[in-house]
Amino acid sequence: MATSEVTPAAGAEAQQEVRRGTRTSPFRVWAANRRAQAGVAIVVALAAFCFLGPFFYHTNQVTVNLNDATLPPGPGHPLGTDGDGYDVLGRLMVGGQSSLELGFAVAIATTVIGTLYGAIAGWAGGIVDVVMMRVIDTFLALPTLVLLLILVTIFTPNLLMIIALLTALSWLGTARLVRGEVLSVRVREYVQAAKVLGSGRWWTIRRHLVPNALGVIVVSATFTVANAILMLSVLSFLGLGLPPPSADWGSMLTNGLDYLFDGYWWMVYPPAVILIVTLIAFNLIGEAARESLDVRLR
Amino acid sequence: MTSYLARRAAQAIVVVIGVMIVTFVIIHMIPGSAARAALGVHATSSRVAIFNTTYGLDKPLYVQFADYVVALFHGNFGISYTLQQPVSTLIAQRLPGDVLLLGVSTVLAVAIAIPMGIYQAVKRNRLSDQLLDGVSFTLYTMPDFFIAFLLIALFSVQLHIFPPEAPAAATLGGMLADPRGLVLPIATLTVSNLAGYSRYMRSAAIDVLAEDFLRTARAKGLPERLVLSRHVLRNSILPIVTLIGLTFPNIVAGAVIAETVFNYQGMGLLFFQAATSHDYPVLLGTTLIIGAATVVGNLAADVAYGILDPRIRHGN
Amino acid sequence: MRTSRRLAIAAVMAATAIGLAACSGSGGSSAIGTGSGTAATGQKVQGGTVTVAWPDGSAPNLIFPLPAATNTDGYDINFTQNLWPTLVSEGDGAQSAVDPQESLYSSLAYSNGDKTVTIKLKPWKWSDGTPITSRDFTFVYNLLKANVPNWIGYTQGLFPDDVKSVQTPNSSTVVLNLTRSYNPDFYTEDVLSEIPLLPQHAWDKESATGKVGNYDETTAGAKAVWNFLQKEGSDMPTFTTNPLWKVVDGPFTLASFSSDGDYTYVPNKNFSGTVPAVSQVVNEQFTSDTSELDALRSGGSLTVGQLPQNDIQQIGILKTEGYDVVNQAIPGVAGTLVNFYNAQTGPLVSQLYVRQAMEDLIDRPQIVSKVYGGYADPGNGPVPTTAFSQWASPVEKSGGPYPYDPAKAVSLLKAHGWKVTPGGTSTCQSPGTGATECGTGIAKGEALSFQLLYSAGSTTGDEMEAAIQSSEEQAGIKFGLKSEPFNTLSATVGQCTASSHPAATCGWQLVDYGYDPYDLYPAGNSIFNTDGVNNLGGYSSTEENTLINETEYGASSQAFSAYEDYTAEQLPWLWVPQPSTIEVYKSNLGGFAPLNPFSGGINPEDWYFTK
Repeated sequence: MATSEVTPAAGAEAQQEVRRGTRTSPFRVWAANRRAQAGVAIVVALAAFCFLGPFFYHTNQVTVNLNDATLPPGPGHPLGTDGDGYDVLGRLMVGGQSSLELGFAVAIATTVIGTLYGAIAGWAGGIVDVVMMRVIDTFLALPTLVLLLILVTIFTPNLLMIIALLTALSWLGTARLVRGEVLSVRVREYVQAAKVLGSGRWWTIRRHLVPNALGVIVVSATFTVANAILMLSVLSFLGLGLPPPSADWGSMLTNGLDYLFDGYWWMVYPPAVILIVTLIAFNLIGEAARESLDVRLR
Repeated sequence: MTSYLARRAAQAIVVVIGVMIVTFVIIHMIPGSAARAALGVHATSSRVAIFNTTYGLDKPLYVQFADYVVALFHGNFGISYTLQQPVSTLIAQRLPGDVLLLGVSTVLAVAIAIPMGIYQAVKRNRLSDQLLDGVSFTLYTMPDFFIAFLLIALFSVQLHIFPPEAPAAATLGGMLADPRGLVLPIATLTVSNLAGYSRYMRSAAIDVLAEDFLRTARAKGLPERLVLSRHVLRNSILPIVTLIGLTFPNIVAGAVIAETVFNYQGMGLLFFQAATSHDYPVLLGTTLIIGAATVVGNLAADVAYGILDPRIRHGN
Repeated sequence: MRTSRRLAIAAVMAATAIGLAACSGSGGSSAIGTGSGTAATGQKVQGGTVTVAWPDGSAPNLIFPLPAATNTDGYDINFTQNLWPTLVSEGDGAQSAVDPQESLYSSLAYSNGDKTVTIKLKPWKWSDGTPITSRDFTFVYNLLKANVPNWIGYTQGLFPDDVKSVQTPNSSTVVLNLTRSYNPDFYTEDVLSEIPLLPQHAWDKESATGKVGNYDETTAGAKAVWNFLQKEGSDMPTFTTNPLWKVVDGPFTLASFSSDGDYTYVPNKNFSGTVPAVSQVVNEQFTSDTSELDALRSGGSLTVGQLPQNDIQQIGILKTEGYDVVNQAIPGVAGTLVNFYNAQTGPLVSQLYVRQAMEDLIDRPQIVSKVYGGYADPGNGPVPTTAFSQWASPVEKSGGPYPYDPAKAVSLLKAHGWKVTPGGTSTCQSPGTGATECGTGIAKGEALSFQLLYSAGSTTGDEMEAAIQSSEEQAGIKFGLKSEPFNTLSATVGQCTASSHPAATCGWQLVDYGYDPYDLYPAGNSIFNTDGVNNLGGYSSTEENTLINETEYGASSQAFSAYEDYTAEQLPWLWVPQPSTIEVYKSNLGGFAPLNPFSGGINPEDWYFTK
């Protein structure tokens, strides 16, 4: 399961204590990466499917129609209907909207909070840094899922609330990474040199810190999108996700699994495939981004 | 090294205390009363009152916390509201099952991931590498519960080979007496961890393969098999050890899912049931143990890393 | 997810069962009503092992049959009722009647204006050979008297509060002098059916090493005995070894018990009634529907199990595996409760026409057929027509006072000054208290919008609530759905009355948590009367109270119909369908069907295998 903040290259990162700046633009390296291209293409296609699809493929996703429940794929319903009589294809679009919105919203919020927190901790240093980092350690010591399960029993789950909760639990990793970046930039030779040369603090931030930290932040945000979508599906699976009639791919999959014994495959595999493809796409983008950073670092 | 250890241990203790406070506060933020959650919609006010007195819930929160901490130092985690047994007993009952589940699946995952990663590194970018990479990438992104259901659909529903239910026995011996039921939960966690580890292993092995000393070894005429087993394996096993320590929270999260799907009698299931039934003492106890285990796991990974690789100088 | 869903369902049932103070002795997950099933035919054979599948969360944790108030395990009663049955045994086969054969009394007489009950005990014996005497009754009485309210079955004012004195003229006669007169049916079926007899000669001790005495005769002694028995009774590893629990008067004794809740009964060889035919009853805990279904499908060792509602399609396959299926209505009443004291929506639901409009929009027959595949009671009023057909009035049997009628709902709202917005949210246009105005406490522009809490865990439950939500929109009534695990739900849904509506537990607007179980006599006392302990929403009507009282203290069937029809019309809550239980059993198991609705359907003393 890709809930990990620690992804395969983390160890390598840890070993790279000293990084050297080079002139190759990581963005160009990334854009040339075939995996990145594939990932972006999939995400664009998915977004078009979810947000534009309903304009061309009209279905009723609001009113339960029990007379049309659990119809197999056929004319009128290319992917059949679910237990409430909703058209599965149309529901994939609607469900995708919540899933994607959630993913992006959490990523953006996480990035803002995590970056600020990490930057403050890293730049302030000293006791402030120590306290701020212990706070992060405390929350990181508990698996996200564990905290999330406790929290969703407190707060009514709706899309906004789940975005808020996931954000509250996801910024920790970003903050840690950004702080590390700030620390390492602070001690780098060229910053020291810049100081000696009398350049201002803001110049240092703009010229060195921002470009260096940006890569790490982007990588982390990409994985956050995937993680958020995944966590929502896990919550749905545990019966603690979005309440009906809202849908997301995770809840569709979960409802389908309840009919596992009844042979209603069209309620299981379409949401499963689209969910996994989405997760793969974001992971491809993130991996490629990380690789391009690493190339720069070599 | 010693001072580093002492400092890390002190940090770990601070974090565990933090975990204790955080979980206690969060858990008591749950609206409504624990008594009503435990006793049901129709609990009469007299039953609620008796319940609150019995479990000290009528005291102010800080008193409850102080009482809880004092009891903890005596090894007393409180009594479960729903199971009416000491939480320490419940955890002690479940822990061996978790050690079995997590231990076997982690060992299996590593045992498969290492050769797989090295193989991929050697065959880097060839078809076999790309195929395996595709598979592990897919598995890596797949939700654990879906892996579990695919396994159930195939092995339980279609083939009738393995039951979709972990052994119901409460003891380790009882579980081992019916090992068929252990297959699918262990397989789920193995598959889910395997994907991450093998991808990690692959990149680590690629790094090692590019190192100078390997070229020297080859130049000396060492057979490729020996190069791989002696140098590559030894040098890439270290990051895996670290990875296990660092990914401990994920392993635990995976266990919560796998245990809920298969009704595996472990701490994950105990935690989940406690969370949905507002069984505070069990919820606190399990969360605390999970948090402490994570901190210790991270600490151990750090320390192991420090001992095994003296090149690393630990900063803060 | 199947696992947690089943857990939630089981919790609902267990919790409602224990929650209903002085309720049926059944508890348990599989309360079952009168229904159809084919009894096994063939020659009865002695012996054989029956394996019963129990759902998640049904593991017992207390063997002492009088649980304390803090006990949360509704299945303890299922576990102990076969060892220490109650004085009055509820349910005779599928009949909603007392089973005189399995009851411990030989006669019950009410005299002195129904204020005195004379109980004659059968000349039965404990399993150690000691006769069952009136002293065993006073032992129970003394224990309860000294320890209420710390008894799970305690309801203020009922047993033992309502007992002025107990006399034992001889060893087989108990005379109860009550503080007031009761409808004898009510007292027999709903009160005495809660009281087991316990072996005073073996249990009247204050410690494991102490001698048996008459400690229960003083209050302090009775408390000490109670505490001792509670403590011993919760020590699971010693359930089969502790000498206390070997003295039983039920048809079975406990042969094995494991801490995960699996347990085995063997027949009590010294049982004074008919010794059970089967040689062993294995009770196996299944922690998910999936695994139970898989065990059934593989033609495995299970003799008796339950089929989840979602898996009705599996019936065909199960029949080829040698099972029969019996569908049983649950003897309880389902509803979506409305909170009359919610600050926001209380004024809205206080208007009968609003409740009527809501009910008009619930297509109950469609839910029964499409969501529950026909295996449900339509829920036309307070008395389920399938489980209690003898009590259901003609109005209820013909579909209830509010058949599905969206047009009527719209016109009803319009007639009371609402701007109806189908698909949107209707708003109040003419506030005021006149006949064509919205009503007291409803402001202009106020929206017909509610939050409906329901218990998470079943796909069919999700489907039913979603269907109701969609349907209500036809008249612009907005239902925001929120599902919660049952325990979370019960933490926030409390009783709200005129005198008390604490913010923490009265924030709810509408809630559907399952059903309220009935005893033999499906009266509305405790559910719909103003002071009823299970009247969570604070519905209060003097007319209703009077009608309920008449069913309680009088005994005319006309009074019952009057109560029933009035309640059906007044909508103290919204009526919704109530799914039945589908039990699956090996077709060579005799005595299983028809099921006893009040013992959870699990009456192994009646079972036998056929050739």
